[in-house]
Amino acid sequence: MSGRLPGDLERTPLPVVDEPVVQVAPTRPPLTSGEWVRRNLFSSGFNGVLTVASGALVLFFGFQLVRFVFVSADWSVFQANLRVYMVGRFPEDQLWRVWAVVFFLATLVGLSHGVLVPRHLTRRGLVLRAVLAVLTVGALVYLVRSPLVWLLMAVTVALFAVGVVAGRRLGRRLLRSLLVAWLLAFPVVVLLLSVGDVSADQWGGLMLNVIVAVAVIALSFPLGILLALGRRSSLPAVSWFCVGFIELIRGVPLLTLLIFGRFVLILLMPPGLTFAQLVRAIFMFTLFSSAYVAEIVRGGLQGVPEGQYEAAKALGLSTTRTMALVAMPQALRSTIPPMIGHFISVFKDTSLLAALSFSELLFTARRSSQAFEFVGHQAEALLPAAFLFWVIAFSMSRWSQRVEVRLGVGER
Amino acid sequence: MATDFTTARPPLWRNVRFLRILGQAVFVLLLAIVAREAFLNLEYGVREQNLDLSFDFLQQRAGFAIKEGIAYNPNESFYSAFRVGVVNTIRVALVGIVLATILGLVMGVARLSTNWLVRRIAQVYVEIVRNTPVLVQIIFWYVAVILALPVIGGALSLWSLVFVSNRGTAVAWFRLEDGAGAWGLFLLAALAAGALVLRWRTRVDERTGRPAPRVPWAVGAFLVVVAVGFWVSGTPVSADVPEVGRFGYEGGLQVSPEYTALLLGLVIYTGSFITEIVRGSIQAVPKGQKEAAEALGLSPRQQLRLVVLPQALRVAIPPLNSQYLNLLKNSSLALAIGYPEIVSVSNTIINQAARATQMLLLVMGTYLLMSLSISAVMNALNRAVTRKGQR
Repeated sequence: MSGRLPGDLERTPLPVVDEPVVQVAPTRPPLTSGEWVRRNLFSSGFNGVLTVASGALVLFFGFQLVRFVFVSADWSVFQANLRVYMVGRFPEDQLWRVWAVVFFLATLVGLSHGVLVPRHLTRRGLVLRAVLAVLTVGALVYLVRSPLVWLLMAVTVALFAVGVVAGRRLGRRLLRSLLVAWLLAFPVVVLLLSVGDVSADQWGGLMLNVIVAVAVIALSFPLGILLALGRRSSLPAVSWFCVGFIELIRGVPLLTLLIFGRFVLILLMPPGLTFAQLVRAIFMFTLFSSAYVAEIVRGGLQGVPEGQYEAAKALGLSTTRTMALVAMPQALRSTIPPMIGHFISVFKDTSLLAALSFSELLFTARRSSQAFEFVGHQAEALLPAAFLFWVIAFSMSRWSQRVEVRLGVGER
Repeated sequence: MATDFTTARPPLWRNVRFLRILGQAVFVLLLAIVAREAFLNLEYGVREQNLDLSFDFLQQRAGFAIKEGIAYNPNESFYSAFRVGVVNTIRVALVGIVLATILGLVMGVARLSTNWLVRRIAQVYVEIVRNTPVLVQIIFWYVAVILALPVIGGALSLWSLVFVSNRGTAVAWFRLEDGAGAWGLFLLAALAAGALVLRWRTRVDERTGRPAPRVPWAVGAFLVVVAVGFWVSGTPVSADVPEVGRFGYEGGLQVSPEYTALLLGLVIYTGSFITEIVRGSIQAVPKGQKEAAEALGLSPRQQLRLVVLPQALRVAIPPLNSQYLNLLKNSSLALAIGYPEIVSVSNTIINQAARATQMLLLVMGTYLLMSLSISAVMNALNRAVTRKGQR
């Protein structure tokens, strides 16, 4: 129930009341720290034991972790291979292309952030951010020894900040042009990174993971919507085909599909027609992802109330227009949380390319730990890669939570 | 002039029934053309490579060794090798499902604990593990933890019952002696006895209306029959304690490093998702249910067991099913660390026999079959819990 409309409020001004407003519930004074500890840590004997035991565990492992990170670990394997972790074997004199892409994306992300994410920051959020920023800067200064790279990173951060400020200033009317910019971004980036003195074969490291993830997400989204529509189609031939396809793909591991792309896909093509390994991997990955997108969209479509279809029919809309103008917009809005969850797992799954010897982040990390001079430092080689995957996936999920609030998912 | 609308037929191109049939016919035709083209290309490509599309190659001699699993030697056929892979997949998937469920339950309950510290620990576990790729975790456990353990000579030991080294783990286990078969029958009988006692005590409870302890009685009956059986069949099992030999463990239940790493990775990763399922499904039970149970005078344990958990289970089973399927499918990542399950054995077979098409069909078919079996069990479970009440 939305209650009274704003218009009604304006017409009937609220009566001015002199009496103090009756308080429904007495407000509780904030807990003192002693009370808080008693209530949250030692509310019963069992809880006290639990607190002491788990506190000891946390202290022990925390101490071990801090000692490992700052004292006993030798991060030189990561320091020496930092560029390989990020871009693989991308030629060093062409790195300006990567930086151009980074600048472009930083601005675009900043603008989107400014437009989409509410600016309210709790004090805790602010503190968390400050701690993270200090840690990141410290780690970068320690790991990266080139002042030029520091400068370029500072420019990236500055562009992001400018984007955020500009995005806030301009507000939601920027939404449409942002959408267009994002749609154009991918072809522009791919062209910049593959035309001229470089080629897609030289992509590697984290860059390859991101490119593959973005390509798969962009391609599987429309394909998934088509599959979902096909599954709901009233034509049995179409819906059976879509059901079969979706269930087949969802029933087998992604790895077997990627192996299929490596060995068999080429045989199904007309003789003479060949595609690069990477293109075939992206193709199979897209098929895989679209089956999951289709199931998410189907869930969203099922959530659209029957009355919406009836209302559209009463207005005389055709089936196509009902779908495009009434059902799909509502369905897609409600699928934002699971969809972003799926996109995060697509990004995580790009690590599977390591099992097929593509030189993506995980593969690079494992390979550099096998070099003779770094024997015995496997953990130091793998942990930075794991951390990079984690940071991106974690911040995507946090970001999506805030965007959901802004877009009002689940409230309309 | 009046038109008879009831009998007038629309022209063919506006007849919905006709259009639907036409549309489907075109769709099927297009599919058939694409499929035929792909098949012809496949046949041509395979002939170019001097291969065929039959499954006869499975009878050929495999010629490669497999490190662990059921009895097999390199002189047996490709088919036998594949069977070893299937058994190894089942071995890791079933154990993984059980352990991940336990871990998820514990962590899910911890996630809802009234204890702030415990709650936070569970939350940090979920946020770290869920957002890191499972393959990264498996490789980390294998390369950076298991292989970095001491060599076999300096194996870490826990009361000489558990040994851990970079050759894997050995745990004290049971050895079946003569009479184990007879004892097995006693075990079945014990189960039946326990069930009967449980039923009888429930009846007593319902008839008298006085609380009658049921579970202790049932467990007691079970244990009595088991003990009697143990004595009658003359110590059917004995302890099998592992020892550290020069080249490896001797005795005990031995687990390879690859299996350990894969299991650790899968259990910890899937456990984090199950944690969230457990938390979500308990929170999905309306608060009023618990309050009503409290008002009826049920003890906290009874509230949980009789009111909250049965309802939470209904919410939890469908997402649990999909996590179990994910665990099964993620076990294919063993390819990266060389645990010989379906995909890594098949990869070797493809490298040796080059019949990628047939091999992949076989692999995908096997996975589909296993996925369907898990789903069937879970659906049966789902029916069992939803049957009792209508929502």
